[in-house]
Amino acid sequence: MTAGGTGVAPGSTAGAGGSGSPEGGWLRVHPASPFVRGWLALAAIGFFFGRDTFERLLQGGPLVDEQFAGRAPWLLLGGGTVLLLTVLGYVLSWYFTRYQVAEGYVRVNTGVVFKQQRQARLDRVQAIDIVQPLLARIFGLAELRFEVADAGESAVRLAYLRAEEARQLRATILSRAAGVLPDPQRPEAPAVEAPEHAVLTVPPSRLVGSLLLSEQSFFVVLGGAMSVVLSAVTENRSFYFYLIPAALGLVAAYWSSFNKGYNFTAAVSPDGIRLRYGLLDTQAQTLPPGRIQALRVSQPPLWRIFGWYRIQVNVAGYGTSGGSGEGSARTTLLPVGTHAEVLTMLSLVLPDPGTPEPVRIFTAGLTGLADPAGAPGQDADGGFVTTPRRARLLAPLGWRRNGFTATDTALLLRSGRWWRHLVVVPHQRTQSIALQQGPLARRFGVADLVLHTTAGPVSPRLIQAGLDEGRALFDAQSARARAARKRQSSEHWLDQVRQNTSVIEPAEAAQAGDPVPRQPPQTAGSPGEPGQRGPQLEHRQDPYRQEGPQHD
Amino acid sequence: MHSGAIDPPGITWLRVSPKYVTVRLAGWALGNLLLLAVLALPLVFVQAGWWHWPPLWLAVAVPAGMLVLALWRLVLIPRQVRAIGYAERDDDLLIRRGIFFQRTLVVPYGRMQYVDIGAGPVERALGLCTLKLHTASAGTDAEIAGLPDEEGARLREQLSARGEARLAGL
Repeated sequence: MTAGGTGVAPGSTAGAGGSGSPEGGWLRVHPASPFVRGWLALAAIGFFFGRDTFERLLQGGPLVDEQFAGRAPWLLLGGGTVLLLTVLGYVLSWYFTRYQVAEGYVRVNTGVVFKQQRQARLDRVQAIDIVQPLLARIFGLAELRFEVADAGESAVRLAYLRAEEARQLRATILSRAAGVLPDPQRPEAPAVEAPEHAVLTVPPSRLVGSLLLSEQSFFVVLGGAMSVVLSAVTENRSFYFYLIPAALGLVAAYWSSFNKGYNFTAAVSPDGIRLRYGLLDTQAQTLPPGRIQALRVSQPPLWRIFGWYRIQVNVAGYGTSGGSGEGSARTTLLPVGTHAEVLTMLSLVLPDPGTPEPVRIFTAGLTGLADPAGAPGQDADGGFVTTPRRARLLAPLGWRRNGFTATDTALLLRSGRWWRHLVVVPHQRTQSIALQQGPLARRFGVADLVLHTTAGPVSPRLIQAGLDEGRALFDAQSARARAARKRQSSEHWLDQVRQNTSVIEPAEAAQAGDPVPRQPPQTAGSPGEPGQRGPQLEHRQDPYRQEGPQHD
Repeated sequence: MHSGAIDPPGITWLRVSPKYVTVRLAGWALGNLLLLAVLALPLVFVQAGWWHWPPLWLAVAVPAGMLVLALWRLVLIPRQVRAIGYAERDDDLLIRRGIFFQRTLVVPYGRMQYVDIGAGPVERALGLCTLKLHTASAGTDAEIAGLPDEEGARLREQLSARGEARLAGL
């Protein structure tokens, strides 16, 4: 559609004056990085050997106790040696850690005695994170994490680079991964960071509110009430002491959630969705277009008071969150948001909803409930097909909620009367599908349909669909997934847009007012031309804005 | 030929070798008889007068209950083996299993990351093998056990060729 089709980054002059380009040559991480990473060990060594001396200094006593005068030099010598060896190890590990971004690969060599060479293909990038722990932030350093599709550790971790360098490297990697070739005249020129467009921010007050109203708080209140009642009944005060560690643990858990979710900001750029969050340790994630494998919008019962929702995603490479704070923060697309914000995020993940009225369908998926007396299995609003009435004994509460609907681009599964869930799986992201039926389900003529996606917090499962509907969906879904996969042919997301532009006449696209509706991202013009981008971003969210009143 | 209610209509299922029953029987014997022997120990001790707890009825009831369960599983094995089926369609592979708890799985060829063939000692003695498909999802439990060796090799080549032709990214 624009100059982006030429395969060159036209705006690259803008960043040419920047620091040394990472393209081509082997580079080292910042010299201070081993100390930032290992400061705890250094501090521990210093504390262990220097404690006595330091304490005596504080008390105004002589530097070396007379009693220990004989031993003190040895102690200091030992401490000094250990410290020196540690520092030497750090320096060596720093010296032997080198990285390179060239020819479509990122390569990292590490190790002094046991060497390790690792290379990862740029076009296989699933996500790029820039992480800044507090200490690194103080020194203006940042860690770059490059994820490919294996459910384990990060493929490449570069710790630490200057924050500016890390951002520069991320821009380079993302533009190479998108399929933008380096300028043949000046291959040394660094890629320009794609401009971004802020989408939403979660205010701290809402984050606090969401934590207070979370499931966790419910059990805290319950546990507190029970302790009070127990102590009143047994007239035993002493067991309050046992609550202290529990309370400390709770404070830590709340603090961790607050620290991770603070100042959550989402933005969209041609490189994908950018998420930023963190109070002390900040993290910036970039999810390139089409890398989200599955998505779940959920609402705990108490959040219903304010109409809040949470969005979690499966991204290959992030793996399962495993309950750890950082992991679950990485797979959270929106820690707490309103209905309108949920729709906005959905529009970013699924630029083409595949339906003329996405607002109505997604709203039905979030809050809809089938009419108990309505047509069997057919929800009046949103076209959700729910559990047939005959199986209501299997799920007396949920049978009117459990249901599915398919748009042209994604399958929507909703479930849960109290804990509302809506799972969205894009058709081309389905790995395999299974239909399952136990003896009880067979008696009621229902079956479960399970979609397998990459590891993550979301496990899409359609609960108790009618047998005929389930079987039809099983067939239709494999056909739809097949068709969607055929449309997506390249790992370079800019290539997909190029292919599309060649299929659709530019004039036609312009006339339609919504250029290239099929593939994410429509916005992928040429990096460095913000003028081209703004209006398209506005356009892109159009389908989700049709029913304005529902938003505000 | 068992064909359950949840299978898509119009599929001709290929069945695994009936010899696979022997493999399952061996596995059953190893697992259940060992468990049964361990559970029967208290009975022996109580009878010998070394233990005074548990009471006799409990010492009898636990292994007896276990025995019934084990025999029930034993009776089911031939039917379970007959219920395993797979079908190669143009774009995907269907795998079904189970009688009480049925499951029908569809794996698109383009989604396959790699194919494993393995054989345990009993399987090897009978000339059988187990074929396992891996996709990017850990949830895809696509395993066909009890294939004759040459059928396993044929299927592996076939799947690899088709996977190559229809390869898709994640």
